[in-house]
Amino acid sequence: MAPQDRLTLDRVEAPGQASAGALLRVEGLSVSYGDHQVVSDVGFALRRGESLALIGESGSGKSTIARALLRLLPQGIGRASGSVEFDGHDVLSLPERRFRPLRGKRIGFVPQDPGTSLNPVRTVGSQAREAAALLGGPGGHEELVLDTFAQVGLDNPRRVYDSYPHQLSGGMLQRVLIGLTVLPRPALIVADEPTSALDVTIQKRILDLLSDLRRDLDISLLLITHDLAVAAERADSLVVLKDGVVREAGRTAAVFSAPSSDYTRRLHADVPALNPDRYRHLRDREPAGGPPKIEVTGVTKSFTVDGRRLTAVDDVSFSVPTGTTHALVGESGSGKTTTIRLLLGLEEPDRGAISVAGEEVAGRSHASLRSIRRHLQLVYQNPFTSLDPLWTVERLVGESLDRFRVGTRRERADRVREALHSVGLGEDLLSRKPSALSGGQRQRVALARALVLRPDVIVLDEPTSALDVSVQAGIVEVLLSLQAELGLTYVFVSHDLALVRQLAHTVSVMHRGRIVESGEVGAIFDHPRESCTRALVDSIPVGAGAVAEGVS
Amino acid sequence: MNRDYAKYALRRVLQAIVVVLLAYVFTFVVISVLPGDPVTNTLRNPQNGFTEEEITRIVSYYGLDRPVHEQLWDSLSRLVVGDLGVSLRSGLPVTRLIGEVVGSTLVLALSALAVALVLAFAIGFGTRYLPKRGGQGLLRAFPALFLSVPNFVVGLVLISVFAFQLGLFRVIDSEGGAATSFAAIALGIPVSAQVAEVLIANLDHEAGQEYAAVARSRGLGRTRLFLRHLLKPSSLPVVTVIALTVGELLGGAVITEQIFGRTGVGSLVERSVTTQDLPVLQAVVTLAAVTFVVVNLVADLLYPLLDPRVRLAGGRSRGKAEVAAP
Repeated sequence: MAPQDRLTLDRVEAPGQASAGALLRVEGLSVSYGDHQVVSDVGFALRRGESLALIGESGSGKSTIARALLRLLPQGIGRASGSVEFDGHDVLSLPERRFRPLRGKRIGFVPQDPGTSLNPVRTVGSQAREAAALLGGPGGHEELVLDTFAQVGLDNPRRVYDSYPHQLSGGMLQRVLIGLTVLPRPALIVADEPTSALDVTIQKRILDLLSDLRRDLDISLLLITHDLAVAAERADSLVVLKDGVVREAGRTAAVFSAPSSDYTRRLHADVPALNPDRYRHLRDREPAGGPPKIEVTGVTKSFTVDGRRLTAVDDVSFSVPTGTTHALVGESGSGKTTTIRLLLGLEEPDRGAISVAGEEVAGRSHASLRSIRRHLQLVYQNPFTSLDPLWTVERLVGESLDRFRVGTRRERADRVREALHSVGLGEDLLSRKPSALSGGQRQRVALARALVLRPDVIVLDEPTSALDVSVQAGIVEVLLSLQAELGLTYVFVSHDLALVRQLAHTVSVMHRGRIVESGEVGAIFDHPRESCTRALVDSIPVGAGAVAEGVS
Repeated sequence: MNRDYAKYALRRVLQAIVVVLLAYVFTFVVISVLPGDPVTNTLRNPQNGFTEEEITRIVSYYGLDRPVHEQLWDSLSRLVVGDLGVSLRSGLPVTRLIGEVVGSTLVLALSALAVALVLAFAIGFGTRYLPKRGGQGLLRAFPALFLSVPNFVVGLVLISVFAFQLGLFRVIDSEGGAATSFAAIALGIPVSAQVAEVLIANLDHEAGQEYAAVARSRGLGRTRLFLRHLLKPSSLPVVTVIALTVGELLGGAVITEQIFGRTGVGSLVERSVTTQDLPVLQAVVTLAAVTFVVVNLVADLLYPLLDPRVRLAGGRSRGKAEVAAP
């Protein structure tokens, strides 16, 4: 690693504060899995009571560093070298027996996905009691556990105590896990993307909880995240990683006001929350006018689940003008997915009317639905599961042309190339299979597959939620230039409000199957009227905004 | 859950009864269409000295001259009250013959099961505890080895080493405690292989789960991690495997009893086959069916109680237990 990174590290420990001493000091840390080195010569220091964020995209080695600090690398495969000094102990060279008292008691760990982080066949209470018992002391840990559950904001500690993990929501489980982590009053908490598996409104509450506990209990925090905006809001200093190497490090304000590496600058530019107006030039064009492309009026759909009637979509109406983007936002279970299934004709509404380009969707036969689908295409959320792994790109993109028998074989091949070209992919990918493509390339293939029939309307179901920010930025740019060029109409489903703000024209906020608020994106986001809209808007990290202003 | 469970249990019990009855009918029909009539063969044996008239009287007394479906109906009605008929060879009631031997076989099968479980769990624990290069690989090869050696070979080796060379048990005293233990080992080894295979695979799977790493991050040691976290979820599928190995235990018992010179259901079957003692065979097949069905019924009924994630699909549509999607 280059010496200038050491210099930036020195800057982290500004003179006058060095006497406080570092709680955690990492120097020359390298980790390899077998022959594959994933972390190279990483160094940083975290002072007592402070917070530090490790930022990076997937594959940057940030989670590996977290595991290395706790010595939880996969046995026999992962090897760490270098020096990790925690509170005077040399973590990497201690024998397992001497390190175990530190793990949990002095260094706590908050995992990424709370849904898989508790034993599924034991009650939450029995696992919590076990964690409490590790602290020693007399029996009767139940009281302690219940108190801790109350402390982390669980409304009904008793119920949580008696439940099995699958009976609780992700947010509740993450509170349980944070509770178990703070129970022994550790000096350091390592939080590995603690909110990325949670719903947006819950993310903010969990991060608030971590900040509060940190302040009240005087715990240092090592926050691992891919979200620059979250890091800016929550951390005193930042370490930016790429491909296992430190690209930049320093105090948060300094890194934001004067990023010294191109990579950080690019990362910064790609985060939607920090750049709400990035695509304004592409988005704000003269509206085409004419009748709306999509009209949904008074649509209701209920399902019967476990004998109870559940109204998934309740009297929903919205319309989308030609050539614009309409966003559907809301928490999980608010009815977004059912709404787009109705729009695509995959479900029949109980009541109401849906028309696309003047043609009625609901109540059609299978055959006539097919003719509508030529104008109405869908791009799925997860490009890792939506492409048949055995098919080549050419066959994937060309499938619908073959199905609809469009043109001659030659014309179809040309259309496939044209579609790939329009999403920024070269012809060299034609013969590849999905496994040989990156996540971003896969989603571009999925988009090309939707475009190849030259539809007017594309439904985008969280098209970037499985992708890193910089890859996401590429996809968003392709989507917007295609819209500008071809006059496409998008229905965009997302829980990422910052992204919605960047690319949508109008938005409908859904809550428990109803549309509670809708209108221009700017108006709704700046002046939310309903509490659930406000909760969603608040979930966009705000501290980031303040820092971002300092930049411009 | 409780009402659902009661419904589920009732369905399973009724299904089990139907399966047993069908197994009985099936064997009855198979036996009646087999060529050769052992009853008349026995009666016509010149040594018995029955006259033609006496034979007709006996045959009609037992209803053997009536159509098959009427005989089946009689036989089923007797089955319901626990009457399995009379042995052709000894003239004793079949229930008494089976009652005399079933205890010995049950002791053998249960001890074999115990041996199998102890062995399987010891191997499972070892694969978690031994270092990768220090014998773990060898331990992982055990199940394959156990499966590939036929249990009569194991039995013969055990007898030759422990009875003849070391004199730890006497072959003559075949029902003694020591002899029974060695017979159980011979019978239990192949069964333990199947249990161990499933257990090892599940332990590996569970150890790779995020919750195992998170539990360790709270400071849990390896032994407690194994006992408190990995063991229970890994053992759940073992319940199913045990239920399926009942067949193995019953079939293996016939051979093992032969090798160790024990009297049991196995030796009874062997005798009855050679002498065409049909009522006894019919009863043994029914007994095997009952055992199989009951053990699997117990496994099915236990499973939802052991795994909290198992959700019982609505009473009418499917009476199956399903693991809820994570």
